[in-house]
Amino acid sequence: MGVPNNVKDTPEFLLSVRDLNITYQTTRGPVPAVRGVSFDLKAGDSLGLAGESGCGKSTLAAALLRLLPPGTTTSGEVTIDGQDLFSLSPGGLRAVRWTKESIVFQGALHALNPVQTVGRQVCEPMLVHETEASQRAATEKSRNLFERVGLTADKLDYYPHQLSGGQRQRVLIAMALACDPDLLIADEPTTALDLMVQAQVLALIEELRRESALTLIFITHDLSVLAYVCERLAIMYAGRIVEEGQSLEVFRNPAHPYTRALAAAFPTIGDPSSRLSPTGLGGDPPTPGALPPGCPFHPRCPLAEDRCQDDEPGLRVAGVGRAAACVLI
Amino acid sequence: MTSIANRRRRATMGRVWKQFRGSRQGMIGMTVLLLFVAMALAAPLLADVRELNPVFARAAGNPQWAPPSEFGPLGTDHLRRSVWAQFVWGSRVSLFVGLAATVLTIFIGSVVGIVSGFVGGRLDAVLMRVTEWFLVIPFLPLAIVLASVLGRNIWNIIFVIGVTSWPSTARLVRAQVLTVKQRLFVDRSRSLGASGFHLVGRHILPNVSGLILANATLAVPISILTETTLAFLGLGDPSSASWGKTLEEAFVNGAIIRNAWWYFLPAGLGILAVVLAFTLIGRTLEEIADPRLSQGR
Amino acid sequence: MRTDLSPIVSVDEVSIFFGSARAVDGVSLEVLPGEVLALVGESGSGKTTLIRAIQGLQQVSGGSIRHRDRPEQGSTDLRADSGVQMIFQDPTGALNPRQTIYDIVAEGLRIRRDGTDEEKRVGDALARAGLRPPERFFPMFPHQISGGQRQRVVIAGAMVMNPILLLADEPVASLDASIRGEILALMRQLVDDTGLSILAVTHDLGLAWNIADRVAVMYLGRIVEIGTTEQILEDPQHPYTRALLSVVPETRRMEQQILQGEIPDSKRIPAGCRFHPRCPLYRSGDLDETIAARCTTEDPHLMLGAGWHAACWAVDPQTK
Repeated sequence: MGVPNNVKDTPEFLLSVRDLNITYQTTRGPVPAVRGVSFDLKAGDSLGLAGESGCGKSTLAAALLRLLPPGTTTSGEVTIDGQDLFSLSPGGLRAVRWTKESIVFQGALHALNPVQTVGRQVCEPMLVHETEASQRAATEKSRNLFERVGLTADKLDYYPHQLSGGQRQRVLIAMALACDPDLLIADEPTTALDLMVQAQVLALIEELRRESALTLIFITHDLSVLAYVCERLAIMYAGRIVEEGQSLEVFRNPAHPYTRALAAAFPTIGDPSSRLSPTGLGGDPPTPGALPPGCPFHPRCPLAEDRCQDDEPGLRVAGVGRAAACVLI
Repeated sequence: MTSIANRRRRATMGRVWKQFRGSRQGMIGMTVLLLFVAMALAAPLLADVRELNPVFARAAGNPQWAPPSEFGPLGTDHLRRSVWAQFVWGSRVSLFVGLAATVLTIFIGSVVGIVSGFVGGRLDAVLMRVTEWFLVIPFLPLAIVLASVLGRNIWNIIFVIGVTSWPSTARLVRAQVLTVKQRLFVDRSRSLGASGFHLVGRHILPNVSGLILANATLAVPISILTETTLAFLGLGDPSSASWGKTLEEAFVNGAIIRNAWWYFLPAGLGILAVVLAFTLIGRTLEEIADPRLSQGR
Repeated sequence: MRTDLSPIVSVDEVSIFFGSARAVDGVSLEVLPGEVLALVGESGSGKTTLIRAIQGLQQVSGGSIRHRDRPEQGSTDLRADSGVQMIFQDPTGALNPRQTIYDIVAEGLRIRRDGTDEEKRVGDALARAGLRPPERFFPMFPHQISGGQRQRVVIAGAMVMNPILLLADEPVASLDASIRGEILALMRQLVDDTGLSILAVTHDLGLAWNIADRVAVMYLGRIVEIGTTEQILEDPQHPYTRALLSVVPETRRMEQQILQGEIPDSKRIPAGCRFHPRCPLYRSGDLDETIAARCTTEDPHLMLGAGWHAACWAVDPQTK
């Protein structure tokens, strides 16, 4: 991972995204959801993607697994472990999903089959991808996985509705880890969870990363969560990365005015400046189909100048290993 | 603020119409239906009502069992009556019975469905048991018994169809009411102090009306077919000429053996066309009311 | 406006049972005029059940809920009282998609057949909720405005009734991060401008820090700690509050105390202190033996008086 456009794609990267554009074809015309996103991840890296609804973060996650709906136009390049994702055969793609990269969705109840025990659902990918030779080996592996995610082995025989929200999220993480992927994509895995359960799941993800050098992409709208889970942070707005850098630095000392607003949205408890004075941005996130001209953030930007309406700024260097897309930098 | 409400209603109608126009099946159904409605309305201009009377037909010197080539446009029957006149005037009865019985069906079904779904509790249980009871008793025997007990006139036929075919509507409406009742805006209105009548009138009904309308257009063909069935079984109104009655008389008097296709074919095709037209319209309205249906296809 | 300082709502030893489940188990609480009180807890803590009872949508099994401005003490049906209004978590669901913004805001007035100056009052309420000029929004439908604006419409629909108390159920949980602050600022401003009170149910401690004057922490159907926002969030006493605060990512890094497991089933409330099976203090084994014995046998009750209050034997000044 580094400042895009001046880092060459070398095999040292596990995942490399080059100038990715994703456009949904709708009845009302093309809607650009992701516009020119580039980043690289080395094995063991962790990247946090933050942004609000409609910023393209979930579309990006789906694209990394080629899970986009049919009829979606993509351009650019996604390379996973040296393989070009968009030119993979269906068989090659199946192998990449689960064994190279896997995803944990939010809303754990919908992602699980209600009429199968969770144990069977964890075994299934191993048998499909033949990473385990027999049912017995797969069951044994599931038992280990459950232990790793903090579930007792007897839970293997449970049906999803018999588990709590936090337990189901753990099952989903176990499932995602079933084929020992190199890259784990977590799309808002803690959004629906309570504070304490969220903390448990975050701690689990951190622990898994420490033990097995897992590469992580973590997506959420809550910047403060990312700041502590990920080493690097990329902020998305209107389909683009508008700021990136080392996460605590981005969080504590944001360069882009949007990041500043996002970081201030969840107050620091104990900070007198935010006590009884919540701050928010005016307006709403733009609809991807109708972006304002120039910098898409300018209608909501407290620092906007006249020139912001003219051209959309690209990412520019904003310190060591940091970049932001704002003309004021 | 009534002007806003009116403008809005017009806008909604406009939007539905625009979507409807875009649907080929809907427009085919609409065209066919309008043709038949025009025919029913213009019946006095298209055929002399006296042609339905055998005495008049004999006096006029009509031939018996005449094919269309001999007596235009659709020939005559065993009583020398013009089949064309029967077809034209029969469309009136069939459409009227179909629509009137549907109104009754939808009215009973909606009231039961809304009360059952909205009030819930013990009343819901009782109403649903009654509904199920009506659903499981074989429909035709009940209709036959009712029709023969009540006597054979057109209003009784409408009544019989109405009271026997409402249960499926009631269940559909109830299911939809249960979904709408869970919505947060109903809770909000309740917390503002809304009465049950207010909730039903302002929130429940507007959100189930699309479904009721679509269901109604789908209930019309069933009503028409039921009328046909009853008439075919000899339980129709003897004094009015419906398509079902034409079919019954053609069958009883051996039109099939005589190969007198002109006698039964027009009525049969007429029923088929009207039923199909209503089904196409109903399907289209259903898709507009519930966009998920069209996406699935 | 704030002459009468007696509590707007007094909740006195209220219990709400569903069969053998004790969803709310002896809660006492007062909402004072002109304050924002945050009721904080995780799902399963009974906070939503309690607010539904205050709203009059839920019967209580024991105890009483008294509203200051209502002479009739026994009735819990708030629907006769326009002084208490609701704000909902999901503004999109709370608005009937087939009604115009005008009709939605005017609905409460119409239900009460209070038609005088309807248009002006609806306009004022929308303007007060920050939707200006209000006339522009009259003919619009919920799907034509943004999520933040929808929540403002919900707030306008409550404010048009001139309430003295707003019950807010997770008012910003479903909103985008950048809009959250705006809505919270609006809520605080309404309190400061009109002197109404807000009881906000939330799991979001940041919300409490942003707008609340006092915070009550609920665990398994009981309030375990209550005090001013500064007391609770900067100097929490109860081990549950401490643990909760330690895992808020926004807190200045204190050492994380991640509790094991989840809130127990309210059908099987642990004996003694209901928190002791998960309590870091109790489990550490460092507690004085007599106190530890009390934790497993005696239910610590929260006393209402001056200053902070925590239902915990280990921090009870008398036991200490």
